[in-house]
Amino acid sequence: MNAFTFESKHKTFLIGAMILGLVCLVLSYFMDSEPMHVRFWSNYLHNTVFFTGIGFISMFIIAAFTTAWAGWFVGMKRVWEAMSLFLIPGLILFIPIIIGMWGHWHHLYHWADAEAVAADPILKGKASFLNKGWYTFGTLIIVGTWIYFAWKNRQISIAEDEEGEGVADNYAHHRRLRVYAAIFLPIAGFSSAAMIWQWVMSIDAHWYSTLFAWYSSASLFIAAMALTILLLVYLKNQGHFAHITSNHFHDMGKFVFAISIFWTYMWFSQYMLIWYANVGEETIYFRHRFDNYRALFFANLIMNFVLPFFILLRNDNKRKYGPLVFASVLVFIGHWVDYFLMIKPGARLTAIEAAAHHAHGHGGHDHAEHAAEVVRPVFDFAMGFNIPGLLEIGIMIGFLAGFLYFVLNQLTKASLVPQNDPYIDEALHHEVWPYPASEDGGNHHH
Amino acid sequence: MKRSPNKDVLFGLYNDETEILSAVHKAKADHLDIYDVFTPFPVHGMEDAMELSESRLHMAGFVYGLIGLLTAFLGMTWIFTSDWPIIFGGKPYWSVPAFIPITFELTVLFAAIGMVVTFYTICGMGPGVINPTLHDRITDDKFCLAFDVTNASDADKSKFQSFLEKTGAEEITQKQI
Repeated sequence: MNAFTFESKHKTFLIGAMILGLVCLVLSYFMDSEPMHVRFWSNYLHNTVFFTGIGFISMFIIAAFTTAWAGWFVGMKRVWEAMSLFLIPGLILFIPIIIGMWGHWHHLYHWADAEAVAADPILKGKASFLNKGWYTFGTLIIVGTWIYFAWKNRQISIAEDEEGEGVADNYAHHRRLRVYAAIFLPIAGFSSAAMIWQWVMSIDAHWYSTLFAWYSSASLFIAAMALTILLLVYLKNQGHFAHITSNHFHDMGKFVFAISIFWTYMWFSQYMLIWYANVGEETIYFRHRFDNYRALFFANLIMNFVLPFFILLRNDNKRKYGPLVFASVLVFIGHWVDYFLMIKPGARLTAIEAAAHHAHGHGGHDHAEHAAEVVRPVFDFAMGFNIPGLLEIGIMIGFLAGFLYFVLNQLTKASLVPQNDPYIDEALHHEVWPYPASEDGGNHHH
Repeated sequence: MKRSPNKDVLFGLYNDETEILSAVHKAKADHLDIYDVFTPFPVHGMEDAMELSESRLHMAGFVYGLIGLLTAFLGMTWIFTSDWPIIFGGKPYWSVPAFIPITFELTVLFAAIGMVVTFYTICGMGPGVINPTLHDRITDDKFCLAFDVTNASDADKSKFQSFLEKTGAEEITQKQI
């Protein structure tokens, strides 16, 4: 019951989906209306950041809950352990982006273009942070540090299963887990902000927002929690995780609900301050998205705030598979779209400007004129930028399949119920007031 | 304000929440009509044991929140478009983003105050209201199961009495409240 076997039919299915994703990724290299293969590169970056970020947030969730002495999550922490290890393939996925940046294969980051920086006082001012060296070693060292903690957490957790004797050894393994979790949290807080600035925010190279890291992390938190819910519902229907009841789903639903409100709070705080202050360099970010990407601009708010808010407002809905699964699918896609909207418009604008710049030649290019023409650019509809096209959906499915393949494979390597965790009893008898632990809220799936 | 006593209550005090929880389960199984249960802290599973229906307070909260939302949004709309239009920072009179923080605040304020007032009203609590306590130690370390015996026959009273004795009540008292 506690051992998970990764059946070959699931493997075949997921490998098929990965191949589909790869085909779509390759096709997006050629089927692009915009210059510099930006559709391919932005798709690759978008999904790499999104799924690596989910791996990072999974480690953050474990560390935060462990530090908070939470007990209820212990019954499902193996899933988050498995998800946090996705940081390893995540780091590998970044390598083509890094090599591409040094080899000028892509033009995702305007600040990586030495000539552009030399002619641009704003980029020159940011050059000590936005440079190729920082990007490369920041990614390698910081993601490497996260991997170290995820790996360590996993190792101790499994060692606790095998060697831990609970009271007899004074919970030695759990104490070590707590120490690593507490060290990880401040490191994660600062370093994840730096990396999200590098990976995502610097695509709009002139723009910055001090709220961006909070906002984009909240987005990843909801995506990770929603994906966990979906994975657990699926595995439960397959006969695993019988100890996860609707009380656990209720609490995970609360997280999706609460962090969706937090995300909206962040989104709106960022928007309103920029709107009110009305500083040109700042408003361009939203002006551009509002003028040229209006459908996604509003879809983002509807999918990630309005619908999950009203669906998950009632207690019952967080305990029933139907509404909970619907809301989880919605916000998972919703936050994928949110990252789409963070990355795509800026990447497209950068590519169009860079292509125009190369076409005009370098001599006699007037910077002021250049600036004037990008104040309110009006773009034609482009598939894969204004809305995610079929290729984008295929690539997302491919990355998701890869992620799930990795996670399910990790789940086979340890007992699904941590054996000697001091909180395991609390987790197995978790009840959400006023619902008793035995009740399974109308889910008659087993 | 202390209302005059109009109810005879027979109650037993238990030492432990597991004792009272099993006593409540047994009372339900024996079809005894419980007047109320008083505990020093919320006992897990008690709502279920007493077969209480789910509170509808949150429904009221939603309505209060909605009233707060409309009050703030429509109020500001009226003030800043027709009653006293002022230009702030070159923004239009009807500036929805600027209205949202206040709309949010009034939604929370109305929902919070409305729910507190409703809760106090339903429970008959409030400033100056003195509610009779069956026993002082209910607020400390004793768990109380009470039966209403106002017009009960002697046979019923002795049935309640023996139920309390059998289920392990340490102290059994009748009191007029």
